[in-house]
Amino acid sequence: MRESEMIICRCEEVTYQELLDTAITYSCSARELKLRTRAGMGYCGGRTCRSIVDQVAKQVGSEQSKKNISLKYQAPIRPVNFVDLGGEGK
Amino acid sequence: MNNVIIIGSGPAGLTAAITCAQKGLEVSVIDEYMKPGGRLLGQLYEQPDGSWWNGINESKKLFQQAVNLGVQFYLETPVFNIEKKDSLWVVYTDKETFQTTNLLLATGAAEAPVPIPGWTLPGVMSIGAAQIMTNVHRVKPGNRGLIIGINVLSSAIAMELKLAGVDIACLALPKNNQITHESAHPKKVLDSLLHVAHMAPSTFVKLGSKLMKNNFMKELGVTFYPRNGVKMWDIPIQLKKAVIEIYGEQEVEGVTIASISSKGEVIEGSEENIAVDFVCIAGGLYPLAELAALTGCPFHYIEELGGYVPLHNEQMMTPVEGLFVAGNITGIEGAKVAAAQGKIAGLSIAKRSGKHQLDEDLKDAVQQGADTRKNAYIQFHPEVDSGRRRIQEEWEEYLVNNTVQFF
Amino acid sequence: MTLRVTDHPILGKLEKKKAVTFTFNDKQYTGYEDESLAAALLANEIRTLRHHEESGSSRGIYCNIGHCFECRVSINGKQGVRACLTPLKGNMIVESHGKLPTPVRDWRSSDE
Repeated sequence: MRESEMIICRCEEVTYQELLDTAITYSCSARELKLRTRAGMGYCGGRTCRSIVDQVAKQVGSEQSKKNISLKYQAPIRPVNFVDLGGEGK
Repeated sequence: MNNVIIIGSGPAGLTAAITCAQKGLEVSVIDEYMKPGGRLLGQLYEQPDGSWWNGINESKKLFQQAVNLGVQFYLETPVFNIEKKDSLWVVYTDKETFQTTNLLLATGAAEAPVPIPGWTLPGVMSIGAAQIMTNVHRVKPGNRGLIIGINVLSSAIAMELKLAGVDIACLALPKNNQITHESAHPKKVLDSLLHVAHMAPSTFVKLGSKLMKNNFMKELGVTFYPRNGVKMWDIPIQLKKAVIEIYGEQEVEGVTIASISSKGEVIEGSEENIAVDFVCIAGGLYPLAELAALTGCPFHYIEELGGYVPLHNEQMMTPVEGLFVAGNITGIEGAKVAAAQGKIAGLSIAKRSGKHQLDEDLKDAVQQGADTRKNAYIQFHPEVDSGRRRIQEEWEEYLVNNTVQFF
Repeated sequence: MTLRVTDHPILGKLEKKKAVTFTFNDKQYTGYEDESLAAALLANEIRTLRHHEESGSSRGIYCNIGHCFECRVSINGKQGVRACLTPLKGNMIVESHGKLPTPVRDWRSSDE
């Protein structure tokens, strides 16, 4: 397997090349890179690949500031069954 | 109604629970794992005095002490959201919804990845996964494995795997690319490795730590580093070989490894295959702070602490009223430091709950935390002290422009 | 050769635990009650726990502590359960998730 075909986001199977190309083409922030490629938006919520996606955005995209930020996380931070969200099961 | 809910039952969470309960608070601890102890469970190493630090026993002791003090445990209970309603924290889990006046996040750390072609094959796992499997569940990850990433954590766990009778082909670097850079650079890795030199019987590494104080010597060290590697606990450490690919039809069958220059560049034609049935990825740890992020707590990127950490002070308070943090969520350090932070957080929470005369205790606990850090057997980052200072400075800067509700 | 560490130089002998049977993809296996399902499967030399929904690539345990969700399986009909966080019980029916019939990617690209 070539390095460019290497998977970065395991959940959504987004490759290294795909991330690089997107970051270069759109000069993305980390958030935009995620929305465009779906990297970090899968089942695990980006817990595994987030640092790498951030790094790609920082190196070739437009991500810069590291100081005093509010991290973008959204609930639920773990997948939830609809039943557990107040459906019939309760 | 709880006085305090603690999310995470690792060394920080358990110690905080004990401290709060000793001060007469109603405490609940929530964790999604099936056993209390967190990452402490997997730890197993020989201490300088020759005794063994056994994470399973340490976890049991802390858990038993907490239970005896009346702490309620909710294991196998994943938290998926937290929210502040009026002055109360609401904690949403798969099982029930909890409310509390004080919330302590002790969610620990997650492992950073080192992507390698083929790393999604079954049989490839994080180094922490192999540790838990071997020491806690007593199942070997395989018969023969290879570890990608040479750092404090992977060196320590390599030895633990060896203790359990698992054959480790070698520890090697990941191939140099834009995302592995430092971890694939022999000189930088050697530099960080020197901080575990005291754990290694190898005279090379021991000598190295004295000899390689300056960069020039380090460069020499890597240049003259023997092509076949050195051995630590009889496991080859390959600073001059990098993993190009993990191969296998449906599951791991082996690893392709190549020689690299002292700058980390692959020497063409030097590729060879090593047959293994499992591979560990050791990218280091980063603070797992997603729950803190949901509260709007400000974050700072501090490399010495392992990544983004929620803003907090020495008393383990965050600027968000009633929200406390302890353990690896505040920066990557060992279990003993995490426990010391748990004690500080517990005392801070007791103080906020109206318990009196805790100022002396709190001051002592903060001092104890600093001493524990200084005497730590393993330093995950050599400059952890300066990282701690930086977050404290950020806190003071924050106070200039913002009001924080103290106690 | 068993993968179980029955005798450990520091941790000692494996304590006696109750053996129970369970099925994985309709085949019967034995494990210890209340050990993690991921451990029970690995002890039976089962490494492939599922196939990716879109590509069908095989996957197994990765982080082993609930962070990565790679080990998710269906247990007694409930989907998306992490094997690494689930204590094994007797007669558990475990099934692996497979490739889905309508890959999302194809639908997405044809929609663009």
